[in-house]
Amino acid sequence: MNNRVIHTPDGVRDLYGRNKKNKKILMAQLDGVFERYGYSDIETPTLEYFEVFSSDIGTTPSNELYKFFDRDGNTLVLRPDFTPSVARAVSMHFPDDAFPARLCYSGSTFVNSREYQGKLKEATQMGIELIGDGSADADAEVIAVVCDLLLTSGLKEFQVSIGEVNFFKSLAERSGLDEETVETIRRLITTKNFFGVSEVLDQANVDDAIREALEELPQLFGGAEIFNKAEKYALADQEKEAIRRLRDIHAALVDKKLDRYISYDFGSLSKYTYYTGIIFSAFTYGTGEPIARGGRYDHLLGHFGKDLPAVGVGLYFDQLTNCLQRQLIPYGADALLAGKGGNA
Amino acid sequence: MRYLTIALTKGRLANKTLELFERIGVDASGALDKNTRKLVFTNEELGLRFFLAKGPDVPTYVYYGAADIGIVGRDTIIEENKKLYEVLDLGYGKCRMCVCGPASARKYLENGDTIRVATKYPNIAKDYFLGRKHQTVEIIKMNGSIELAPIVGLSEVIVDIVETGSTLRENGLEVLEEVCPLSARMVVNQVSMKMENERIADLIRRLKNELAKGI
Repeated sequence: MNNRVIHTPDGVRDLYGRNKKNKKILMAQLDGVFERYGYSDIETPTLEYFEVFSSDIGTTPSNELYKFFDRDGNTLVLRPDFTPSVARAVSMHFPDDAFPARLCYSGSTFVNSREYQGKLKEATQMGIELIGDGSADADAEVIAVVCDLLLTSGLKEFQVSIGEVNFFKSLAERSGLDEETVETIRRLITTKNFFGVSEVLDQANVDDAIREALEELPQLFGGAEIFNKAEKYALADQEKEAIRRLRDIHAALVDKKLDRYISYDFGSLSKYTYYTGIIFSAFTYGTGEPIARGGRYDHLLGHFGKDLPAVGVGLYFDQLTNCLQRQLIPYGADALLAGKGGNA
Repeated sequence: MRYLTIALTKGRLANKTLELFERIGVDASGALDKNTRKLVFTNEELGLRFFLAKGPDVPTYVYYGAADIGIVGRDTIIEENKKLYEVLDLGYGKCRMCVCGPASARKYLENGDTIRVATKYPNIAKDYFLGRKHQTVEIIKMNGSIELAPIVGLSEVIVDIVETGSTLRENGLEVLEEVCPLSARMVVNQVSMKMENERIADLIRRLKNELAKGI
């Protein structure tokens, strides 16, 4: 018999038996978290027009999208991520008095990336979008949901690392460097390449105070004590505002007793242009990649004709269960059994 | 305490690195012990684990979190192009990535001819010729003795690491263009950097101070 008939293509898989049951139950538990915070479900199609994920919205590079043509010759893609889809749907259907809207979703996402060797090309994502609320409380709420999701899954050790894109944006603007150099520096800061940033700045003519700030950025991460250090470099209003924002979020998270899961990283920048405020990633042992990623994107809905602030997060479900397995934490049905078995 | 695992590139880089670790009071000499078949050396006192791996595998170990820290040449980091934190230039293992060939091949580079390029580093070669020079080339991936390729007529030029250039000279080849400077780097897994921030930051700081003293 031809092997191709039996095997699945690279990056997709069958799920059945115990693994499927664990997944189903854990997803239901996480859904419970969404419900507790007052989020209601939204479903968007797997296929969208290419324009929804195009480069000026900027989530996934075009060559990593699965693309098709419909009968009229339009380019369609399999969604690589939910946020632009949800933004589009909300702009299309929701009346102006529907905000703030709390929406949650779960389903498959598709990324055709070579880098994902040994990783899934069809991956389950669960997440939320809080649309129409631009406050620090909204930011803190979304981060609290992430922590709650991870704790509910059974994970005990994790870190949510929060950054603010405006801090770097403003420094870059003040530096007067051309776009290409800024992009090089952004890349070096994201990889915490301390010496690389200095090398690039050696060849550029930059104000000393800004230079010092840019050189410090890759090391500007840690607990709330990092705010004082960052303040030394924040000379423009936008930079001060970024720090004030993070302080407000921190205060809200302390109130929720979640601060021990949180750290701050001014050097965490995103190549995704749609982020306009905080960005954050959740990390744990057992994977080289974040298990959840999110941030504030106040202009994305504007692309679809409804200018509203929004903040959201996506949880990479399969990454999470991988980590749980590697950390020997039972989850889903196994966790329920272990809970009952504890007394026996 | 959780172990911090460090992947070292087999060979000279590993020797140099362990010397450096020794100088900051971290004993890992067991990792080079030829009398044992053990693959992983553990320093229980400091909670560190060391193992040796082939260069191109080091970024892979670190990327997947099997190692928290890796010591590897910049050539390998660029070629493998994994998402890693590149936190320290260790300064040793200095060399250059170059386009080399017989002097007669220089004209092909100047004219932008479509030529064949033999290399162990197809990504670096592609990025240099297509991305920076905008020259269409055919890249041939090789696994060793790259210098042979232009001599026997497999390719017009090669892209390879040049340290002193003596092998090139002995074979009638020379450096035609320099792609980038290289040296040994310390890379850190992105998750480890957050989860084990204090210990890793401390290690980086101590290594940095030691390096500042000069070798």
